[in-house]
Amino acid sequence: MIQPEISENIKSVADMKTGDTAFITSVGDDCIDVHCHCLRLMELGFTPGQEVSVVAKSPFKDPVAVSVRGTIIALRKSEAECIKIN
Amino acid sequence: MALNVKEKDCHTDTLKNISKENNLPVVALVGMPNSGKTTLFNTLTGSNFKTSNYPGATVEYSIGKLVNKYSFAAYIMDSPGIISLNPGSPDEDVTVDGIFNHPKFGMPDVVIVSCDATQLSRQLFLVKQVIDAGFKAIVALTMNDLLDKKELEVNVKKLSEILGTPVVKINSSTKQGIDELIKYSQELHLSDKSPDFKSSIHKPAIPSIDDVAKMYDYTEATEREVIEHKNNKLDLDEINKKSFHSLSRTPDKNSLKLDKVFLHPLWGIIIFIISMGIIFTSIFWIAQPMMDLIDAGFSNLSALVSDSLPADTWYNSLITNGIINGFGSVMIFVPQIVILFILLGLLEDTGYLARAAMLIDKPLSKFGLNGRSFIPMLSGYACAIPAMMAARTISNRRERFLTIMIIPLMSCSARLPVYAMLLAFVVPPDKPWIAGIGLGALYLFSLISGAVTAGIISKFKKTEEKSTFMLELPPYRMPVFRHIFKNTYYKALVYVKQAGPIIILFSLLLWALTYFPNVDPVIPAEKTAGMTDEQISRVIESERLNTSYAATVGKNVFEPVLKPLGWDWRIGVSLISAFAAREIFVSAMAITFNITESEDDEDNFQQSILSSMKDAKSPDGTKPLFTTASTIALIIYFMFAMQCLSTVAVARKETGSWKIPLMQIGLYTVMAYVLAFVTYRGLNLLGVQ
Ligand SMILES: Nc1nc2c(ncn2[C@@H]2O[C@H](COP(=O)(O)OP(=O)(O)OP(=O)(O)O)[C@@H](O)[C@H]2O)c(=O)[nH]1
Ligand SMILES: [Mg+2]
Repeated sequence: MIQPEISENIKSVADMKTGDTAFITSVGDDCIDVHCHCLRLMELGFTPGQEVSVVAKSPFKDPVAVSVRGTIIALRKSEAECIKIN
Repeated sequence: MALNVKEKDCHTDTLKNISKENNLPVVALVGMPNSGKTTLFNTLTGSNFKTSNYPGATVEYSIGKLVNKYSFAAYIMDSPGIISLNPGSPDEDVTVDGIFNHPKFGMPDVVIVSCDATQLSRQLFLVKQVIDAGFKAIVALTMNDLLDKKELEVNVKKLSEILGTPVVKINSSTKQGIDELIKYSQELHLSDKSPDFKSSIHKPAIPSIDDVAKMYDYTEATEREVIEHKNNKLDLDEINKKSFHSLSRTPDKNSLKLDKVFLHPLWGIIIFIISMGIIFTSIFWIAQPMMDLIDAGFSNLSALVSDSLPADTWYNSLITNGIINGFGSVMIFVPQIVILFILLGLLEDTGYLARAAMLIDKPLSKFGLNGRSFIPMLSGYACAIPAMMAARTISNRRERFLTIMIIPLMSCSARLPVYAMLLAFVVPPDKPWIAGIGLGALYLFSLISGAVTAGIISKFKKTEEKSTFMLELPPYRMPVFRHIFKNTYYKALVYVKQAGPIIILFSLLLWALTYFPNVDPVIPAEKTAGMTDEQISRVIESERLNTSYAATVGKNVFEPVLKPLGWDWRIGVSLISAFAAREIFVSAMAITFNITESEDDEDNFQQSILSSMKDAKSPDGTKPLFTTASTIALIIYFMFAMQCLSTVAVARKETGSWKIPLMQIGLYTVMAYVLAFVTYRGLNLLGVQ
């Protein structure tokens, strides 16, 4: 299990700015919650190694529109936090 | 989506008419949301189900027969889009349950998996799952025209070899590939006569994160194999290999550009507010002239019929008061429904509604709702029934129930004629624009009251279940006007067909209750002395009404309850009839306040209701019944009261228990009564009568 202090240093899609592009390193590694939706995120196409970019953020900064695998998916910040990037 | 009454009706219709006895094979259409299943379904069956550019448009199966043109007799089943065979929301449950064990049709004989060619690596995920589950599967590649724009294409032969199933490129508008698709389905169906293959079909176990990653490795490798550059003659192999594989995973360029505007922190909000504003104001402004026209038409018809029948006979009254008025009150708000559906259809088909749902997610989550609640809520402004069905795309149970709970508070189109009539009464006739503003305020207020109600309920009901949003934003498309008009036409038709008979039935019932038993009241001669014929017939009519069945029940039962609100038994009778459908209130008022068109010099139906409202006296006969205060109280009552039996039935069906519908009836009736009382008394205290 990864310590919270360390995981704060790992960046996630939630930290990206509009227009940023990055590669996914892992999805839901530090998820302890059984109700976590990481599996669904993976099924949607957010898999390690995939390139993602933030297309737009809603005026409240949440949700964010993320492009992946030829489509755009709107994710809440809490969901975007599960997707770690390099 | 979901604004679809027709979808539901046709569904139940077809199910009723089709039984599995004749043993026709079933071909199921399965695929990710927005991948073009319904479009293909319509092409295959020649039906007109609603397609639209919003993931989650279809929330129910629909079943149709393959058009006769093909020699293959089979049923085609459309299904809600799914991400994988592990359902994440109730609409996905529908599909997964349906393909593994449909209650009526069992397991499908052949599965056509629709697959959006522009997102191959993503969409092959489900394709692979369906094939691995053991189905006889065919892949229908859609959106090839969009892939074409990127100068890419799929090598169908290679893909079919890798997957081990037939793959067909289709285009529903040019009919490309449709014949081939059917040929393959038939071959596949006949390929193995033993029904045994079905017993080996298995639902996949819930995959681990690693399983999903492995699956995607496979789909990516496959994609790399089969995506080719259109002009591979250029022999730029090496350069292309690098560029077009990432190109195949870039979203639609136009959509990226447009999202910079539509999802812009400032412009996004402005566009959102303006587009919602346009929808709700045009319901009032654009519809009004058309409504006046319909109105005048029915009034003339009624006058004509009344004149050509013997005066003062029961059947004259039945036809003009009961039937023509009742029917007129059905038709009068067809224009508003049509406009609402056209505009919603436009917004949806362009792909904007999904963005709107994203913009509003954060504010709605403050009230315990979800951005995905937005489309059901917006549909609720048209009709609560399809709106509640649209809530199926919300995966979190509590958010879904909460959305269903507040949908009846959204100001549905059936309330429009009621508001229009009551507002017209309150507003000075020389300033009709105030009514427009008033209506806008009512719409806004219904949104606020819905949100506040949701907020309060969600404070009481906490849950552990995590809320998700994860909505795919489809590419922006030019709306297909033909589809929108067709959909709107069918919806208006369904409305007239569905609401029409109930309204006419209630009109007749009410007419009878207000006409009998004292058909020919005896008026003492001294009372009518010196009156004109017209005045005498009015006295006779009001005497007949006052001694009718409706009056007896109304005076004893409703009046004591409604008196604190400033209303009398006639309003009570109208309110009770409005339980079948809210819009009946208008025709019920017309009947109980006894409008006899033939004797009126007003130019139309609405004017004559208004003038008889002005003439109506309160129970003690001293004050006018409809004052500004009592009319506004009536508007407030209609905003909250759960005045619709069909909504209750659908809420029961969608939530699977009586809890929510009973809560809705109890809570909203109490709220309606209390708030109407507070409004009436409050206005009185402020000096408004
Ligand atoms: N350009 C293009 N657009 C298509 C094609 N097929 C479907 N569409 C459009 O794609 C959108 C979605 O189509 P639908 O048929 O409603 O998709 P669906 O798979 O039924 O979607 P859900 O019911 O939400 O799961 C609509 O706007 C269609 O007009 C195609 O081959 N090319
Ligand atoms: Mg569909």
